Amino acid sequence: MNRYVQGDPLLCIGCRTCTIACVVAHEGKRIYEIDPDGYDFHPRLKVIKTFNVSVPVQCKHCENPACKAVCQSQAIYVQDGTVLVDREKCIGCKSCADACPFGAIRMVPLGFETNPDGTRRSVAHKCDLCFGLEGGPACKRVCPTEALRLVESEDLAEMLALKRGNVLLTASAPEINRVN
Amino acid sequence: MSNGVHEIEDSKLLFVFGYNGADSHPIVARRIVRAKRKGAQIICVDPRRIETARIADLHLQLKNGSNLALVNSIAHVIIEEGLCDDKFIEEHSSGFDEFKELCKKYSPEAVKDITQIHPDDIRKAARMYATSGQSMILYGMGVCQFAQAVNVVKGLANLAIMTGNFGRWAVGIGPVRGQNNVQGACDMGALPNSYPGYQNVTVPEIRAKFEKAWGVPLSDKVGIPLTQVPHYVLHESEAKKIRAYYVFGEDPAQSDPDLAEVRESLEKLELVILQDIYMNRTGIYADVILPSTGWNEHDGVFSCCDRGFQRIRKVVNPPADANVLTDWEIISRISTAMGYPMKYDNTEEIWNEVIDLCPSFTGATYEKLEKYVNIQWPCRSKGMEDKGTSFLHKDGKFANPDGKAKFSSIDWQPPTELENDEFPLIFSTNREVGHYSVRTMSGNCRLLRNLEDEPGWIQMNPELCEELGVKHGELVKVISKRGHCVTRCLPTDRVKKQAVYMTYQWWIGACNELTIASLDPISNTPEYKYCACRVEKIEDQAWAESYVLKEYENIRRSMGIELEKGRKAI
Repeated sequence: MNRYVQGDPLLCIGCRTCTIACVVAHEGKRIYEIDPDGYDFHPRLKVIKTFNVSVPVQCKHCENPACKAVCQSQAIYVQDGTVLVDREKCIGCKSCADACPFGAIRMVPLGFETNPDGTRRSVAHKCDLCFGLEGGPACKRVCPTEALRLVESEDLAEMLALKRGNVLLTASAPEINRVN
Repeated sequence: MSNGVHEIEDSKLLFVFGYNGADSHPIVARRIVRAKRKGAQIICVDPRRIETARIADLHLQLKNGSNLALVNSIAHVIIEEGLCDDKFIEEHSSGFDEFKELCKKYSPEAVKDITQIHPDDIRKAARMYATSGQSMILYGMGVCQFAQAVNVVKGLANLAIMTGNFGRWAVGIGPVRGQNNVQGACDMGALPNSYPGYQNVTVPEIRAKFEKAWGVPLSDKVGIPLTQVPHYVLHESEAKKIRAYYVFGEDPAQSDPDLAEVRESLEKLELVILQDIYMNRTGIYADVILPSTGWNEHDGVFSCCDRGFQRIRKVVNPPADANVLTDWEIISRISTAMGYPMKYDNTEEIWNEVIDLCPSFTGATYEKLEKYVNIQWPCRSKGMEDKGTSFLHKDGKFANPDGKAKFSSIDWQPPTELENDEFPLIFSTNREVGHYSVRTMSGNCRLLRNLEDEPGWIQMNPELCEELGVKHGELVKVISKRGHCVTRCLPTDRVKKQAVYMTYQWWIGACNELTIASLDPISNTPEYKYCACRVEKIEDQAWAESYVLKEYENIRRSMGIELEKGRKAI
């Protein structure tokens, strides 16, 4: 199963530490260079806030990714259980952003890369689970309330088992007795 | 705080009143979340749907400025339904009969229109608070930044006394202070009426002690509160006038209410000295600027809001050519130049002087701070076995002469400037998590600047936005009787239609142009949380965008910032 990072709205306090950590993880040491604008500030997740929910939204790393299916340039691929974007191949057609049911893909301009004609390159941008970076997803590591978890297949099984267990709460008393 | 921050997560009920931990102190908010996970109930009292409100068992979305009416009404229900801790009241308090009399007129029905809260919800909150067995109150600037502030604190204390929620683990009343180390500033006597350790300047024996230690005669008069400085500059007689203003680690031209008046007084002052780590807006008016080291470039001791002393340590050296000194070195040099030779070799020497002069801090030696990390005062003995005091008022003993907690019987009073035809909206300041205080530090952190930048946002209910015809991200003009500013519209149903909210750190969206310098008579804290305003749509958005850019450049230029270094458009 592809892994994914899942936020818990009951624990999230909307502080966006994850947002900053995402940029730091992907930009590396460049952010500490002298020129304050010498890096791209493009977080790969977005903290949403509604009346009752605060939670970061990011790629679910779908098993049958719609983004990959619609990609005309084969820029979206799956490697080691992670859905990734090849920036070199991306033509910026926006089909993937449109296809993603979670709004987890957006288009970002690359501050330091241009097209052959000199115009600014703009590419699809999404969570890559900090692919190839030491320590795994940075958002999960920095969250002050531990609201983010990296869901592996056994975690999913556990979550589902818990939910099935909750059925007992709504079952009639004789049913519960019989189960026990 | 009467109890430690670390106790929060063990409480059975958290009564969070006018305190937005998620935006002000994520580290404290974490304790609230943990408490919830451990099964605590949460009552959140806030006019906004803040993060704590989302996870609360009960959210009382009260009308802004109705705090004491609600608090007294909760007390009314506790009395009416016989939920008081009679034994605690009898043995450890005074003034209950008078308070009981006052509460009679605060039935939930009587305050329904003032608070905009359904009487059933007030009753429910009162029952939950009084019966949990271990209830803790946390309050913040939503209580303190009103003209009626100290009296609301006393009202909250009434609730804790009448239910016996004092003097035990994970109960009590917790002012989660607005700024990092503001507790330390108070502990060190940065108040007009006290020496370090809350020792009153008007008490002759205490004055004599400090005169002996420092070898100089000292004044026995209470000083001038910070927020009254404009008055003393602009309106006082020649003899009483303030002529010089030495500001450090502050930016009154950004943080104080009614900025037009603040600017006028900074201009009138004969001498303004600014001591800070970066240039700020007050610096524009400064005659002398003393550059000092940042938080990671010096040693010292901070006090947490729960009275906990912790050491801070230097992690980097300032650049060799920076020509900066630590704050204490600058103070020592100024003092020496003014005729009082002050010499210390390190912060431990200063700290030893502090603890020897302050009985309640005496035991908090560097050795113990090193070993135990956190020492909460009172800590009176230097012996290693005295590890400080996590919670106050053990066995129901209070700091009054009779050793008892005193009930305060005080009526609710409406805010100073109410909404009206010309200014129909309530204006309140608030915080956002990425930027600290006036942004002197966080505004110079490039990542945090990327997260949020000029000209900031105004939180508005979507219905209000629709009525005014303004959309997300559009620039709007916000106006009060005292001034105006330009900022971006942020529609959110987490706020009610009657009130709008802005953070106070932006130079363009400087909401303190609007706020009122109406002060609480006891604490002298301004009423940042309530004044009247209106929001106007700006038809020509292109003009507004260019105005913001131009204004930002002007401000940066006036502060001597090199503009050619380049930055992305806002």
